[in-house]
Amino acid sequence: MSDLDDFKATYFDECSELMNELEEQFAAIEGGERDADRLNAVFRAIHSIKGGAGAFGFSGLVGFAHAYETLLDYVRDGRVEMTDDVVSLCIRANDIVADHINAAQTGEELDASYGMEEKQRFDAIARGQSGSDDDEWSGEIIEEFDIEFTPVRVDLALADEDEPAPLAAEAEVDAFDAPPMPIEPGHWEVRFTPFRQLYSRANDPLLLFRELASLGEINVRAVMADIPPLSDFEPFGVYCSWEITLFAPDLTEAAIREVFEFVDGDCSIEIVPLGHVVPPAARAAAPAAPKAAVSPKPADLLALTEDEMAAAPRPVAPAAEPVRPEPEPPASEPELSALSFADLADEIKATEPVRAPAPIAAPKPAPQTPKPAAAAGETGEEGGNRSVGVQSIRVDLDKVDRVVNMVSELVITQSMLTQQMDENLRARYTELVRGLEVLAQTTRGLQDSVMAIRAQPVKSVFSRMPRLVRELATKTGKKIKLETIGENTEIDKTVIEQLSDPLTHMIRNSADHGIENPEKRKANGKSEIGTIRLSAEQAGGNILIIVEDDGNGINREKVLQLARDKGLVAADVTPTDEQIDQLIFAPGFSTADAVSDISGRGVGMDVVLSNIKKIGGSVHVRSWTGKGSRMTLRLPLTLAVLDVMLVKVGESPYVVPLSSIVETMQCSGATFERVPSGGQVLQVRGEYVQVIDLAARFSMHSTKQPDERFVVLCESEGSQKVALVVDDIIGQQQVVIKSLEENFEQVEGIAGGTILGDGNVALIVDVQGLRVTHIQQKAA
Amino acid sequence: MEALSLREETGEKSAVVGQNTLQLIAFSIGEQTYGVEITTVREIRAWNGATPLPNTRDFVRGVINLRGTIVPIFDLRARFGDGQTSPTKNHVVVVMSVGDKWVGILVDAVSDILTVSRDDIHNVPEGNAIDTELLNGIVTHDSRMVGLIDLHAVVSGAKLDA
Repeated sequence: MSDLDDFKATYFDECSELMNELEEQFAAIEGGERDADRLNAVFRAIHSIKGGAGAFGFSGLVGFAHAYETLLDYVRDGRVEMTDDVVSLCIRANDIVADHINAAQTGEELDASYGMEEKQRFDAIARGQSGSDDDEWSGEIIEEFDIEFTPVRVDLALADEDEPAPLAAEAEVDAFDAPPMPIEPGHWEVRFTPFRQLYSRANDPLLLFRELASLGEINVRAVMADIPPLSDFEPFGVYCSWEITLFAPDLTEAAIREVFEFVDGDCSIEIVPLGHVVPPAARAAAPAAPKAAVSPKPADLLALTEDEMAAAPRPVAPAAEPVRPEPEPPASEPELSALSFADLADEIKATEPVRAPAPIAAPKPAPQTPKPAAAAGETGEEGGNRSVGVQSIRVDLDKVDRVVNMVSELVITQSMLTQQMDENLRARYTELVRGLEVLAQTTRGLQDSVMAIRAQPVKSVFSRMPRLVRELATKTGKKIKLETIGENTEIDKTVIEQLSDPLTHMIRNSADHGIENPEKRKANGKSEIGTIRLSAEQAGGNILIIVEDDGNGINREKVLQLARDKGLVAADVTPTDEQIDQLIFAPGFSTADAVSDISGRGVGMDVVLSNIKKIGGSVHVRSWTGKGSRMTLRLPLTLAVLDVMLVKVGESPYVVPLSSIVETMQCSGATFERVPSGGQVLQVRGEYVQVIDLAARFSMHSTKQPDERFVVLCESEGSQKVALVVDDIIGQQQVVIKSLEENFEQVEGIAGGTILGDGNVALIVDVQGLRVTHIQQKAA
Repeated sequence: MEALSLREETGEKSAVVGQNTLQLIAFSIGEQTYGVEITTVREIRAWNGATPLPNTRDFVRGVINLRGTIVPIFDLRARFGDGQTSPTKNHVVVVMSVGDKWVGILVDAVSDILTVSRDDIHNVPEGNAIDTELLNGIVTHDSRMVGLIDLHAVVSGAKLDA
């Protein structure tokens, strides 16, 4: 049972990837890129989802996906045009598929009628175009076509057992130099040569033949000329290929190729319309050799065939009737034919050169040998490259996290060791010092590599947003367009996970409060369609995630009013616009209905702030009345390790994230000025910056003379600078962020804790939080 | 019966000896003895300093590193309003779990493990709200009073402005 659960878990993982892929494809399709590649990608995704769902018996999902797939199939064929209507129906369908997947995952039952309307529309569109209404999904796996298994014997003499088909007869002579067969149009000859990886990926040729059989009348012949003597038999070798004659008058080559779409790269497919001249190059080379190879020992071969068939993993099993013995080998079985040539050469040398066709056949293909081999090499490499491209393993995130944690601890231990090295030790133990230096480098490298494992494109979060926007647009009756930029920017997986909620809140906020309804927008001379732009970019050691909208901006009057009502801002204080904007993040500000009733912003913004702070990031909002607003999240590239400056406040160690530090200076060289509130400002190159004395702020007793203290000038995203006064600066180091909330609760002005090399806990200064509370305190 | 349940002590919650008895870790603050149920105690360690947490009440002594996680330390004496303890190496931190959190309680010394009957737990006499808030009940041991600490109450209200 647990095995099945494992499979299911994998399936759902895949589904979520596929759904992301769908979102992505449709984003492009919606943008007008309606090329076949995209459609095929969509088709494949839906097909894969359906396939897995069938295996697990999620009938609702299968049914819906099937109807959807049918429509997509018609679109692909060009029978249905990809109009905007169809696109939006498909997008809606994606949502339904996602819901079905969710339902399947959580085990809940969706209403039977859910998605029915869309399903009917699919059917209607499909039927309307094709006139066929027999494509209703029966809820079962496709019933067996009457392809029967017939053991195939390779014996030229037996050829007449079956109807003496022209092909077989011809084969006896020499299939390859013979002129093309006079066959009425509409016949296709498909040469299907599976490579080994086709089987190792658990594909079954029989299924492909069935699919071909659904296109028209087929005649499948197994080609077994390549089967070596048993002594040379490689257990996992693939020696069998097939030739299929397909009678399907209306078919295009592309349609046949489609059948093999899923095994693309795992086999060689040659599709030749019969009645046309077959390119000689395609036919000439490969076949002769194996033929020659087997020809010396026809008796052996005969005797072995059945055993070989039994021994071969699967190659011969599915063969269609009527099966005709057909010694004609495949056009290309790259490695194999190359091999055979070599064998052949040996054989020719070793055995009697008199042996009939061999010497004649051999010289002919010989010069060509390099060509197929090279071609094979190329395609093989291509195939190889491709599989390298997708070569990935699924690893439980917990396992990666464990590694990350250990590496983080290692980094810290390493920096602790380095700190222990004083000058004395350095002079005495040069080898040790060198070792430590190497260790430092290696740990850095290890850390980077581990972080790279966890880095993921933000796409995985971004791709969830279009759906949210669609839903919000429907719910609010607004017209909203979502633009995403930089979705390939990579961030730590944990950061990405933490990003989903804040982004949802921010976008909901933008859609709900920012974007105006179409009438109002029109009246204000804006386009009826509001735009929310979601972008990600890397800036130094940070990632910036920006949510912008072209809505109305923050309603500062109402925000201020509410803040005053809640006692966040005293009645006699007039905060600046920027300060008001930041107020929406104040805890307790945006708690409930009071806010969603007003048109100002504030839904769930404290959630955004606390989530972002938790991962060591900061949030900034800017707003332009009537023009829109912009919220910027500044996030660390990685969560696990933070570069910090270690300082002392009183006797306690504190750390300030290096990413927010602009500069540091000694107090003796700084110019402090008093301001009426009793606070201080610092003049830095003509700019006045608010001063926060951390000792006073944290109620620590500072033993230092004012002049001996230090100023750490900080700047958090977009907001004004702030000068923190600390007692001492100890140095830079890397730390692992530890949560305070895990065992305690959030503490004002503190973003978290960390454990220093000596085992003591140091607290991480929450620069942005300090500033916000500082404003509030001053205001109060 | 008693021997049987004693053997189960390693199992969860089974430190309760017999159906109706309760095992306590007793510790002292000044002259007074208090106790907590033994099943909540995770670890007892000597006081080795703590990093002070700003913007918290005086009874939050700070945080310590407990094998890689940060655990807050509460000064029980200060929580009772008797002023902060001046801890020495002889002072003891009792680490226990409260809900899903781990917290440390700074006490003067751990004195004993007591087995008491639930029937012997007395109500805290009405009077000062602090007593009834912080104590779950009172038992008598060696004719002295042992106050049963309500851990949830002790750790709540730690923020300065809460």
